[in-house]
Amino acid sequence: MKKLPIALALCAAFVSANTMAEVRINGFASIVGGKALDDDATLYGYDDDISFKNESMFALQLSADLQEKLSATAQIVARGSDDFDAEFEWAYLTYEFSDELQVSAGKMRVPFYRYSDFLDVGYTYRWVRPPQSVYNLPFSTYEGLSLLHNTQLGDWDSTVQVIYGSFDGNIAVVSVNGDTELNDIAGINWTMSYDWFSARAAYFVADTTIAIENDTDAGVALNGLEQTLRAAGFVDQADDIAVNEDDGSFFAVGFSIDYNDILFDAEYTEFEVENSALAKQTQYYTSVGYRMDEWIVHLTYENNDDKHDSNRYNALPAVPALNAGINQVLEGVRAKSNVYTIGTRYDFHPSAALKVDFSRFKDDISDTETDVVAVAVDLVF
Amino acid sequence: MKKLLIATAMTLCSHAAFADVAVIVNPANGNAIDEGTIKKIYLGKAKSFDDGTKVNPVNQDGNSVSDEFNDKVVGKSSSQLNAYWSKLVFTGKGTPPEKLANDQAVIDFVAANGDAIGYIDAAKVTDKVKVVGTF
Repeated sequence: MKKLPIALALCAAFVSANTMAEVRINGFASIVGGKALDDDATLYGYDDDISFKNESMFALQLSADLQEKLSATAQIVARGSDDFDAEFEWAYLTYEFSDELQVSAGKMRVPFYRYSDFLDVGYTYRWVRPPQSVYNLPFSTYEGLSLLHNTQLGDWDSTVQVIYGSFDGNIAVVSVNGDTELNDIAGINWTMSYDWFSARAAYFVADTTIAIENDTDAGVALNGLEQTLRAAGFVDQADDIAVNEDDGSFFAVGFSIDYNDILFDAEYTEFEVENSALAKQTQYYTSVGYRMDEWIVHLTYENNDDKHDSNRYNALPAVPALNAGINQVLEGVRAKSNVYTIGTRYDFHPSAALKVDFSRFKDDISDTETDVVAVAVDLVF
Repeated sequence: MKKLLIATAMTLCSHAAFADVAVIVNPANGNAIDEGTIKKIYLGKAKSFDDGTKVNPVNQDGNSVSDEFNDKVVGKSSSQLNAYWSKLVFTGKGTPPEKLANDQAVIDFVAANGDAIGYIDAAKVTDKVKVVGTF
């Protein structure tokens, strides 16, 4: 519902601009077919039946330069995982103060990761999908402001982006469908690049509220415990379980190299919602690739570790039953896994690439392995 | 017919391999422009000339001259450049230079626009434009 006014504003901007500005239309698409190679296991949305829908998507971008350094951009994305229902993924106005400084307002992408801004544009990276252990936050856009500053420091390019805004929507954390409000999202993303080398660091905070629904076993257990604690008068302990107006923070560092056809990427991220049942997450990946004209071969290792600090345990030693319940919920969100991916990309056309990735996901808690193979054609137009 | 096409294609390819590319501006443009600046302009990193005029670059549309220019001056293949510009286009951070059909179209555009920069086969240079570098 909230999207409609933005869409209307942009349409109005396009229409009024019609007489004086041309509207550029660009697009991109990914057609991905894949399957899990194990029975009874799901990974990246695939089970053991081949799906061409799960990761496929199609997008159109409209942009218009209005007068006086103002431009309007909208990106409409239809994802197979949403039955190809078209949605406004980006919709914003940009004002250029100068060559170095611009401000944008509207619905945009939170620049969590190196590939965040063009996450959907598979053509811009070598994998079928960016490493999911790191690229795992359940939301990616926000509504608000973005200030972008580009400068050249000798042979180095510096890009600093500062954002402020909010997110309101349903995301899957513990439960499948949790009404989520992130207020006062604020942060900075700084990238320094030099020809073949680029490094970045990002830090974001948000006032985080996530309603956990009783639609999973973990959700039921968590809500049951919180209510029991609250009813018994242990308000602080109950507050430490609920995700209600808690301080969320996200930190990322990463670098990439593209030197003499050798490609190297590494990113490390930390995510935490203080005083909540959500575990502190640390993730990283390292990836090497080698380019041979139109071909790239690559190997990636990812690692994810979600856990609570030990001082969060035994929060209520006076009441052993509730103490055990708290420990159980804290332990229930523990996760530890790693993934190896080997793949190839072939640029068979100036605007299209064919990719094949094989990924082996290992869950260290349940000690199980799941393999997924996917073939993708990514294009831009 | 097929043979003729192949022969033509081969001629074009061998021609491309040996032809030099001349980077041209309007004769009225007095700015000093070196190879590094040209590269920055064609990667969208430099948006103005030294005198502050907004730069108006043009490409050629996927022909042997553009391949030669991308390879020699920008240092990227057409696929790599496409990926590079996709990152900017789909995040609202830049727009790639407009593409013109051939050398003559670029000469006409540069001759008519004081803020223009383009590149052509070095053998096609005329006195309507000024050469700032040959690669």
